[in-house]
Amino acid sequence: MTLLPLLLAAGLSEGDRELAERLQRREPEALAELYDRYGRLAYALIYRIVRDTGAAEDLVQETFLRVWNRAQGFDAGKGSLGPWLLAVARNRAIDYLRSTSGRLRNALELEETEHPSHFLDLEKQILNSDMVRRVKGAFARLSENQRAVIELAYFEGLSQTEMSERMGQPLGTVKTWVRTALQILRDELGAAVSA
Amino acid sequence: MSCDELRDGYELYALGVLEDPERSELREHLGRGCEVCVAGVKRAREAMAVLAETVPPVAPPPRLRRRILASVGVERSRWWVTPMWVGISLSCLVAAFYYAGREHSLGIQMARVQTQSRQLLEEAARLNEALALLNQPETKQVTFGEGAPKPPRGRVFVNPRQGVLLLASNLPPAPPGKIYEMWIIPKGGNPVPAGLFQSDAEGAAMHLRRGPVDVAATGAVAVTLEAEGGAPQPTSTPLIVAAL
Ligand SMILES: [Zn+2]
Repeated sequence: MTLLPLLLAAGLSEGDRELAERLQRREPEALAELYDRYGRLAYALIYRIVRDTGAAEDLVQETFLRVWNRAQGFDAGKGSLGPWLLAVARNRAIDYLRSTSGRLRNALELEETEHPSHFLDLEKQILNSDMVRRVKGAFARLSENQRAVIELAYFEGLSQTEMSERMGQPLGTVKTWVRTALQILRDELGAAVSA
Repeated sequence: MSCDELRDGYELYALGVLEDPERSELREHLGRGCEVCVAGVKRAREAMAVLAETVPPVAPPPRLRRRILASVGVERSRWWVTPMWVGISLSCLVAAFYYAGREHSLGIQMARVQTQSRQLLEEAARLNEALALLNQPETKQVTFGEGAPKPPRGRVFVNPRQGVLLLASNLPPAPPGKIYEMWIIPKGGNPVPAGLFQSDAEGAAMHLRRGPVDVAATGAVAVTLEAEGGAPQPTSTPLIVAAL
């Protein structure tokens, strides 16, 4: 079983827009509903990244509070809450990993990637199941190294320089894997969008 | 760098792992509003979001939900007056007293301030009592109004020693001459009056009925709209019913 069907179901539900508006009015019940909709997804994603239940709980809490406090900046008419919330969840977890491993924390950069305005119009495309199927298919066709670098970027927040150190491979080689992997995913995505 | 050269960085940028100098270049370029690259980064976010698909499902512990909801308790300070809020209000009253006192009789103003500050302290005490009830492990809670179209929503907390606490939202203030009455309804018995209350302008209400409650023998807690003095038995359809 995978999570995406849940994400799809949650994102497709009529209530996302209404829920966003209620969050903006700071109704505590809206936070409860938001948690019921996305809490499992957020927890699973964060746990996959930090591999520690206690830390995962703290980070899920931080994620929901952050969304709660920043809902004002979210355009309820255009965006879907799920992708935004998951971006916040991933970033909180990566930030935690960086801090515990003594790596340089690029908090500012992560903040940028979770700005609510970046998630406008996202759901229309993300909720296209054909696209999801194609991208998953493309992901499965990646070589082991190509998949590894994408996972290191997504689940651990490693830059290419850090990947090269971690994997003990020359930076140029890592960059080639990354570029090729992303090209494959991008082509598949482009095909899905224009299909 | 050209759009073509920046293109390799879209996904890494979306993930927050693109390094300088490419990162600064792309950021500035996006800041200038290049439509090609803005759309490209947006698509990259979509593609990367799909990676969540590969995560194995793990269920969070049930306590996490309670913990998260408790942590936005700040919002409830509208109902749950904090000592700080009482302090601020008191100093406002003192200021009001100071300015108004120049024009009016000092004695009347003094009496008014004393009454108001006593009311505030009483309110604070009532709220502290409510908080104490909420924090008891044996307190049972039920929600009401979920899923109804334009419902009063909220929670009822029942503590066998301390009483029944009702927290409601979406409950418009009772019209002039009317008031809300809470009822404790025993299983198979008639409703027992449990006090009168009013909601505030924002539709929020808190009502505490002190005293021991036989939780096992109680079927429900309800609220009706009644004439100002209250009624010995409900005379209207309940607006709130919380079955225990
Ligand atoms: Zn461009």
